[in-house]
Amino acid sequence: MLEVDNLVVFYGDAQALWGIDIMVNEGEICALVGSNGGGKTTFLKAVCGLLPIRQGSIRLAGKELTHAGAEERISLGLSMVPEGRKIFYNMTVEENLLTGAFVKRSWHRKQELMDRYFRLFPQLEKTRKQMGGTLSGGEQQMLAIARALMSQPKVLLLDEPSLGLAPKMVDLVMEMVTSIKQAGVTVLLVEQNLSKALQVANRGYVIESGRIVLHDSAAHLLENPKIKEAYFGL
Amino acid sequence: MDYFPILMEQVINGLVLGSMYALVASGLTLIWGTMKMLNFAHGELYMLGGFGLYFGLVQFHLPIWLVVPVVLFLIFVLAFFIEKGLLSPLVGKPGWEVNAVVITLGLGIFAQNLAFILWGGDFLNVPYVAEGAIHFSVIHLAWHRVYILALAVVVLIIFWQIMKRTRFGLAMRATAFDHETATLMGIPHRRVYSVTFGLSASLAALAGMALAPIFSVNPWMGMGPLVKGFIVVILGGLGSFLGAILGGFIVGISESLSVLFFPSGWKDLASFILLIIILVVKPSGLLGRKEW
Repeated sequence: MLEVDNLVVFYGDAQALWGIDIMVNEGEICALVGSNGGGKTTFLKAVCGLLPIRQGSIRLAGKELTHAGAEERISLGLSMVPEGRKIFYNMTVEENLLTGAFVKRSWHRKQELMDRYFRLFPQLEKTRKQMGGTLSGGEQQMLAIARALMSQPKVLLLDEPSLGLAPKMVDLVMEMVTSIKQAGVTVLLVEQNLSKALQVANRGYVIESGRIVLHDSAAHLLENPKIKEAYFGL
Repeated sequence: MDYFPILMEQVINGLVLGSMYALVASGLTLIWGTMKMLNFAHGELYMLGGFGLYFGLVQFHLPIWLVVPVVLFLIFVLAFFIEKGLLSPLVGKPGWEVNAVVITLGLGIFAQNLAFILWGGDFLNVPYVAEGAIHFSVIHLAWHRVYILALAVVVLIIFWQIMKRTRFGLAMRATAFDHETATLMGIPHRRVYSVTFGLSASLAALAGMALAPIFSVNPWMGMGPLVKGFIVVILGGLGSFLGAILGGFIVGISESLSVLFFPSGWKDLASFILLIIILVVKPSGLLGRKEW
């Protein structure tokens, strides 16, 4: 569904990504895990078009995205939940969802979509008239995910959805990710919380210092001795 | 001597003046909110509105209902392409805060001098839209002023509704809050900048047209309103649309009333003193967000 080949990204003169190959299959949850500073967010920003790429190619459902502008990529079917949720604090929950429906295919059925996500995430419905900035961290994460889904994406990119949330909320967010997959949306889940991510994912990639160092099925990665040693301290 | 009629007349004049300040300032605040720049050429867009009305009504003898929309449209298009050609290549790049000031200041000076070369420095008169006045017992009000107050209120309400209820308005508010996240919603933020700049220019031109019959048209007519516009947006809170409207009326009314107590040359001082007092009490302006 999403194919990234040999992606190279620079920040000024500093090379951040050294030829990343990632393939996300239709209908799966694919995890991209690794510690802080490994290049996870850089990778997502480059895929979305927020950062220029030096080399490599990006294809979505067979369509070349490499030279498309960021907003064009969204209208072609990518959607991203940014790190830190990035809720529009100056808008109500409803208005936040409506911004997610900005793309043409969603705008004419925005009400229907909004009702769908309020049904799917009933906790959000109670807050629909509140300003975005007054929500708790977990509610904001839910809103950010629902907002990203409003554009009816083919692939949803999630950047660190568990960051800064209480353990109970982390489990809830991971349940949400599973239900998104069951609703037919392909997910690329970027996480520092390796065990949580690999528990819900089908396959996983491990990134370190801008390079993919491992990729395998999620179950195998969880059993991999190198991972156990490096990330779980076993 | 009975002060009541004079007091009432000055309050109403203040409302009229305030509505024009609100038009000018709301344009400035829209630009600040979305593009994070101060537009020093805003007064010249106001000036072009005045000249547009003069040429339409006095030179070409066209009806007012035709002149106003045509001028608004032309200024919108002009500003749209100024943004695309001159500002867009630099917006958001390092040094933008300074570059924006240099570019718009230069544009303003260029426009003033171009107008001077093309149309001369005479003070041109434009006829009132409506002659006569309303009389409520002892209070007299020119119809022209009533019309421009009504026009400003209607236009500001329409703008407020655009921002609240339309797809473009949503895109504009999202871009103003965080343009990168807006992009992730599929919002073309550069297009939003161009359209917002065009709309802001149209608001300035509308104020220029409304006040042209009262203050006459000349290449420098925009300088006063620009300074007042800045006072109003800072007083109301930079980036706040409601703040610009509220600030506009406050400055308009206080200037009008100050004439009753001080020599009229002190009128401008009144708005500056008011600004300083409000900034001491609330540094972010009346409805401004704290940004520091």
